Amino acid sequence: MLDEPLRILIAALICWLNFMTIDLIFKLPHSGGVSGATAIAQEVEKGGGKLNGGYMMGNIVSSPDASAGTLLASCGVYCAGLPGGLFAALLVYIGNRICYDPGYAGTTGCITATFIVYGAVQSGWFAASDFIAGMVIAILTIQGISSVHASRLIARLWKVRCRFIPEDKP
Amino acid sequence: MIAIYVCAGIAVYAAIRVIAERNTMRKLPFLNVVSFAVTGIIALLLPHPITIAAAAAYFVGSTLESNAIASTWAGGIKKP
Amino acid sequence: MGRGYQETMNDVVMVASVILILTGMTAAIFNRDPFDKLISLSVLIAGVFPFIVERGFLDVAIATALIAPLSTIFTLMVCRRVQV
Repeated sequence: MLDEPLRILIAALICWLNFMTIDLIFKLPHSGGVSGATAIAQEVEKGGGKLNGGYMMGNIVSSPDASAGTLLASCGVYCAGLPGGLFAALLVYIGNRICYDPGYAGTTGCITATFIVYGAVQSGWFAASDFIAGMVIAILTIQGISSVHASRLIARLWKVRCRFIPEDKP
Repeated sequence: MIAIYVCAGIAVYAAIRVIAERNTMRKLPFLNVVSFAVTGIIALLLPHPITIAAAAAYFVGSTLESNAIASTWAGGIKKP
Repeated sequence: MGRGYQETMNDVVMVASVILILTGMTAAIFNRDPFDKLISLSVLIAGVFPFIVERGFLDVAIATALIAPLSTIFTLMVCRRVQV
């Protein structure tokens, strides 16, 4: 096994890729799911960020999305192995229902993350706790450093995604 | 096992950013980071299957709470 | 629930939780805007949680995690009623 700090950073990158991909696929930056997300997006835009990035940040705050799914999947695999991760997916699904969220970004992200984390632990290269710390670092880079820069990065990734899957654009 | 130290450090950093931010709506992403970090701390302290339920309950509860704060600040649900 | 994986809580985690509690409490006292106060109370309850879980009271943790946000939501509903 590699050294622990390096494992945590690699796990952070894997978690970042997992939750960004699922969230972009589920069109989180397209619009605010609930009124709270729209409010956050408008405030981010007033501060100098991009609106699409603000929508995604608002959606992450207001409802359990793939980032929450990835975190709870890592916690599930750490506490109880593969069944733990799937139990966490069930809880994320219930959480989505409670928050009136019509999408399934959270549950999908949780299931993919369960298999990724379980596979990584079984392969012997990682420990499940690396993914918990890694996910917290990943969400820190998006929500916790600078909303202006993060929203610009998300808006740029959203443009790339729209070019790849053009039939979804209205 | 330094994973729990990472989570604790990020929690403190994000809590300071929450307090230091002036704009109310821009505090909410930092509060979200605090929730992520504390969920991680809960899971790392006690690896028991029921801990998953406690961590998920805490996280969903805090998401619901942030959603309610943002919605109420924005003027509530828009009447159709 | 018996003792957890870590026999005694790490000093670092305990200090971090105490910092969260004190910061949340101070900010809740000195903030003017009521929404800011509610956000600071969220930080405070986030700091209390590791102490509950570390002792093994997972049922108390689940109950508190569901009740504390509900109380915030009811507070917001009352405020909206008073404003309107």
